[in-house]
Amino acid sequence: MNTVYFFILVPMVYIAFAVFIIGMAAQVIRVLKKPKLNASLRIYPEEKPRWFWSIFDSILLPTVWRHNKALWFFLIAFHASFILVFLGHLELITEMKWIQLIKHEIFLGKGFVGLIMSIALLFFLFRRFISPTKELSVPEDYFLLVLLFLTVVFGSEMDWARRWYDYGEMSVDAYRSYLSSIFLLSPKIADVTTSGHSFMLVLHVFFANLFLMFFPFSHLIHSIFAFSLNKIRRG
Amino acid sequence: MEKRIREELLALFKSKLSRPMEMYLETCARCGICTEACHAYASMPLPKYTPAYRAEVVRRIYKNYFRWQGKTVPKAGECKKLDETIIDELKEAAYSCTGCRRCMVYCPFGIDTQQIMSIAKLLLVGAHAEPELLSLLADVSISKGESIDSFKEGFLEGVKNLEEEVVEKWRHEAGRTPIPTEVVGAEILYVALAGAHSIIPAAAIFNAAKENWTLSFFEAVNFGAFVGDPTKTKIIMDRIINEAKRLKVKEVCICECGTAFRVMSQLSGSRPFKVSSITEVHSRYLKEGRIRLDKSKFNVPITYHDPCQIARNGGVIDEPRYILSHLTDNFIEMSQDPKYNWCCGGGGGLVALGEETLDFRMKSAKVKAEQISKTGAAILATACENCHTQLSNLNEHYKLGMNVQFLSSLVSDALAK
Ligand code: SF4
Ligand code: SF4
Repeated sequence: MNTVYFFILVPMVYIAFAVFIIGMAAQVIRVLKKPKLNASLRIYPEEKPRWFWSIFDSILLPTVWRHNKALWFFLIAFHASFILVFLGHLELITEMKWIQLIKHEIFLGKGFVGLIMSIALLFFLFRRFISPTKELSVPEDYFLLVLLFLTVVFGSEMDWARRWYDYGEMSVDAYRSYLSSIFLLSPKIADVTTSGHSFMLVLHVFFANLFLMFFPFSHLIHSIFAFSLNKIRRG
Repeated sequence: MEKRIREELLALFKSKLSRPMEMYLETCARCGICTEACHAYASMPLPKYTPAYRAEVVRRIYKNYFRWQGKTVPKAGECKKLDETIIDELKEAAYSCTGCRRCMVYCPFGIDTQQIMSIAKLLLVGAHAEPELLSLLADVSISKGESIDSFKEGFLEGVKNLEEEVVEKWRHEAGRTPIPTEVVGAEILYVALAGAHSIIPAAAIFNAAKENWTLSFFEAVNFGAFVGDPTKTKIIMDRIINEAKRLKVKEVCICECGTAFRVMSQLSGSRPFKVSSITEVHSRYLKEGRIRLDKSKFNVPITYHDPCQIARNGGVIDEPRYILSHLTDNFIEMSQDPKYNWCCGGGGGLVALGEETLDFRMKSAKVKAEQISKTGAAILATACENCHTQLSNLNEHYKLGMNVQFLSSLVSDALAK
């Protein structure tokens, strides 16, 4: 079991990050190498400055707001939570004073951020079972949502256990010692593998690794292309 | 499908993989937000008529041959092989889409289904499965460009026959030709359609504005764009570009034809002359006081259908409204926001295919007919030949009781001395 834990918590993490970074770079370079189109694909009327509206469109999703308010609500809640969770992980690697301007125990959001993400992911998943989104969806779409849901649920569970159920065996310091050691390239897993709760972390990291590895090769590449595409639409 | 044919088709596919196209194909989250945008789906709610479903037909081939997924886990993305069975699917997808790009306004990423459908159309051309009529019409346009001298005489004679009617509409200074051709150094080269309705009102208005203009030998419509053949599209467009360069005109004015205007103004790169739609030119004449209109001419409510390729995709939105404000005090907007106007249902070559597509055109544009009917207007004006034909068909089919008119005809009929 120890070997499996070690594999997931150390080498697999490095592999996942390598695949993610190289994959993302390769995708972007591949697209950049394609010829530009000598044409305008914009939609009118124009609003200026165009760069501002492209960013506005990409971040605030006004078209979704206009056409599907419920989906807009879950999309914004999900993406905002994603950013908070990302910041939370950064805080586990290194202390960042500026985030503590809002006084909090790591993670931000008192456990509710993970809950919101989980609910949003279930919403995204279940709406795929309804026509016509059902006919549009391919197995990959369900797979990614399930994978992310599992990552989020196991990750949040550690937060919830500490906050809501007084489960004190694995502390923020234990997570921090593990994650920062990974980033300092001198992995230490002892603090996070001895508790009865360790399997939660191992599962969280396992699903997160898989998610990272699939990310660049799926439509999640929208995290980058959304900005360029909205710029094309804005002209 | 023979290996050689498949390879040829894949080479055609590859030729369409520009930077934006790659992003369009990679990014769709299959969220379905665009679903309600398509008039075909709104009128006939079948999944195959949703924009993203159409795009998926192409995307699944893309993933199979151009992405890792096709080589590793094709089932994960439901990747599809390029074979005979998919040709029918491509045809259904491409020729049930009018290329109106209303879905692009809905999509959070701005994915352009018209662009993706241009791959489907090109594959159909490569597989000789495209609507033959469109290719035939494109070929006729091309051969006209190649042998201009042989049809010149007939063309000039035809134009001569129209002059009397032009003068009836607007009697201008004696000695000037009502329909000038081959004027080197003219301000405007007017590119019309084959048909008196596209030439007579326009000529009368140019003459009323005392414009130094000249009529093009070629018709504006680009059947190459309808059939989705980039080579033919370019040849057809180049005939006009070369003529404009030869005559050293300052501006090319495209008649009421949405596709011709969009291809020339948006899709042809930079040119040494300005490109305008005839609506823009008329609006300019009014602003500059070069023409005046008699508002008492039409005492009924008028509504205006924004042709997709001219408004949402071409940027001519305020100009027709400006013209209409000089034609009537009783203008009724069709859509609260012109960007969201429903497509007439006749674009993308569907109207050019005539009877063959009539049933689909009528069924898929039910929402359009409802939208028009809600305006309660008596005159339905528009500024595109395709839209005009489709709207007239809808008018008849849904018994809307409207008077469908070209905006330019209304202008020429209301010209005041
Ligand atoms: S371009 Fe228009 S017709 Fe084509 S899928 Fe989009 S909304 Fe439908
Ligand atoms: S709205 Fe855009 S991303 Fe969503 S399914 Fe339609 S084309 Fe794809």
